Amino acid sequence: MLSVLPWIVLALPLVACIVLMLWPTEPDRRITRVIAVGSVAAAFALVIAIFVDLLGRDAEERTEVTTLWEWAAVGDLEINLALQVDQLSTFMMLIITGVGSLIIFYSMEYMEEDRDYRRYFAEMTFFVFSMLLLVLAANYLFLIVGWAFVGLASYLLIGYYYDRPSAVAASKKAFVVNVIGDVGMVLAAFLLIRDLGTLEYTEVFATAEGGLGDGSTSAEAVGFLLFVGAAAKSAQIPLHTWLPDAMEGPTPVSALIHAATMVTAGVYMVARSNALYELAPYAAGTIAVVGAITLFMAATIATVQDDIKRVLAWSTVSQIGYMMVAAGLGLYGAAMFHMMTHAFFKACLFLSAGIVIHAMLGEQSLDRMGNLRGRLRAAFVGMLVGALAISGIPPFSGFFSKDEILAYALAQGTLGVIVGIVGILGAGLTAFYMFRLVFRAFYGPDPDGGYNPEPHVTTWVMAAPVLILAFLATFAGWIQVPQGWKLVDDWLDPVVGTPDLKPSLGLEAATSLVSVALCVVAIGVAWWLFGHGSERRLAHAKTLARYREVLHQGYYFDWAFEKFLIEPGRQVGAFLRDFMEPAAIQGSIRSTVVATLETARGLSFLQAGLVRLYVFTMIAGLAIVGVIFILVGT
Amino acid sequence: MSGSGVPLLAYLLVSGAMFLIGLLGVMIRRNPLMVLLAVELMLNGANVTLVGFSRFWDTTDGQTFALVVMVVAAAEVVIGLGLVVAVYRQRLRLNIDEMTRLRG
Repeated sequence: MLSVLPWIVLALPLVACIVLMLWPTEPDRRITRVIAVGSVAAAFALVIAIFVDLLGRDAEERTEVTTLWEWAAVGDLEINLALQVDQLSTFMMLIITGVGSLIIFYSMEYMEEDRDYRRYFAEMTFFVFSMLLLVLAANYLFLIVGWAFVGLASYLLIGYYYDRPSAVAASKKAFVVNVIGDVGMVLAAFLLIRDLGTLEYTEVFATAEGGLGDGSTSAEAVGFLLFVGAAAKSAQIPLHTWLPDAMEGPTPVSALIHAATMVTAGVYMVARSNALYELAPYAAGTIAVVGAITLFMAATIATVQDDIKRVLAWSTVSQIGYMMVAAGLGLYGAAMFHMMTHAFFKACLFLSAGIVIHAMLGEQSLDRMGNLRGRLRAAFVGMLVGALAISGIPPFSGFFSKDEILAYALAQGTLGVIVGIVGILGAGLTAFYMFRLVFRAFYGPDPDGGYNPEPHVTTWVMAAPVLILAFLATFAGWIQVPQGWKLVDDWLDPVVGTPDLKPSLGLEAATSLVSVALCVVAIGVAWWLFGHGSERRLAHAKTLARYREVLHQGYYFDWAFEKFLIEPGRQVGAFLRDFMEPAAIQGSIRSTVVATLETARGLSFLQAGLVRLYVFTMIAGLAIVGVIFILVGT
Repeated sequence: MSGSGVPLLAYLLVSGAMFLIGLLGVMIRRNPLMVLLAVELMLNGANVTLVGFSRFWDTTDGQTFALVVMVVAAAEVVIGLGLVVAVYRQRLRLNIDEMTRLRG
């Protein structure tokens, strides 16, 4: 059964996408809904069937690779179109199809006002297909294929409002940055082919130690190159700048692609490649350090954003930083656990923000919000639960997943202690910026000028997914309790292993106490600053204007890219256009034309129309040939 | 091979002379009528060779060929004279050095 089911899971959203795309006219919206939601929900049901099937097996027999056909065979290198079902890919599939079907269900109403209903759902189902291919692939080649497909889906959906220049610019930016990552991945795959002669996961991981060598240069190179891909996809510094801009897409897209699933693909890939990172300690350490820098910087930037979606975008960057810290330190179980809880609470937050934006006809600025808690109850509940979860307040899910990362990090030696402390500080910042958002949007007085028109309440179609996700964000953490049971770690253990160094009870308790205390203080500060209208906030904004400017500019990453990469690139382009292109391209074409014309003109006197001259030339030529023959003949 | 009669060398000398005279005529004369005449002379020079070798090898191939050449020559003259008449009708001077364009 496991040889067929994953293919059906993969095919369902693809078929839905093709049917929607090829439908001769804009199909009836009911048909679009049934096809899109039905295909992803059916895929979810089948993934549950796969999960149940795996549960019934022994832990060692849960990996199943099915090959559809041989994709390419070059010399000794064989690449198969194959899917690998195991604990890790099933875990990912559950999140993708589960959260995916909720978000696509939610989109039915959210996108109701938009004209390209069919295109939206076709691209969403295409994204689900690509993401499933990414996690199901049994080798690095199809991982890269899925990787590029999700990049394409992301590009298409960020640029969904193609008549808005900022959306087009954002989609291009996302695509270009992601291609930088793709190049890293492809180069890593080349190194694997060179040293191991295979790209199949099972063979790569089995032969890596002998073929690459422990701590060897090529192992480190593979580790770093793969991380370039992971950093681009998962928006880690310095390749993070595309994600906040990606908020130009519709909000459900931000929820599904730019929060819950696609941007965590980098974490998945690092976890999948755990056998390689064990051989590359420097690359793994770099991942942890980059993750720590990212989580802290992004959290600070999130504290000054005034766009409700950009707060959430920076918070996504920051949370993926936590996952990267865990993955870099070898805490793959903790990373995947945090990815799961993050998928729940961040999707919940985005969908709540979506309700607010939908209710306010596209308004995203926090300045235009306030006192919404009575008006949009579902959004308030979702936002509050999400904020409590992401801040790590017990008993919400983020508490368990984030504290597991922090406590384990603190037990992993010097590097772990450093990044762990950064992570605890980041947790405080997280609580601050999240409750800043909650207090500014849902508490305080009405915004200046009041609401015009009054925000309209959304129907159950949008409320239900938010409430389901809020439920999950609240309780999903209980499947992994410190010093108690560890369902996620145990489930993933055969694929990713468990860390050797475990924190003591005292360390875990201390970590939790410190981080929760920090969060409570941060929430208190946020309440003091933002809970009662804008006076205090604006007064402090003035005194802190210089620091706020640095954060508003996102530590000048965009500025630096613009100045040191894009502008020199433009200048090189202008130079080539002004000097190289006229001389080399146009010049060569023009001189070909001129040379042909001049040669013809020079020889045209021969074509004088003088018959006697022709005859004379002919006879003279004949005579010369005759003389040559006679001379050669003798 | 017939031993009697005119020897082969005589045929070849006559034919060579005719061909060369014709060739010189084509190259030197400017009147198209004269050029046509000279071309005719060259063709008939070739014909004499054909007939001469036909006698030499005692076969009829060459003579048959000579007849074919005559037919072709006749056709050629018809076209050539037709062109000359056409040029004359345009009231142009009959000088092939001045006829350097296809469009009158």
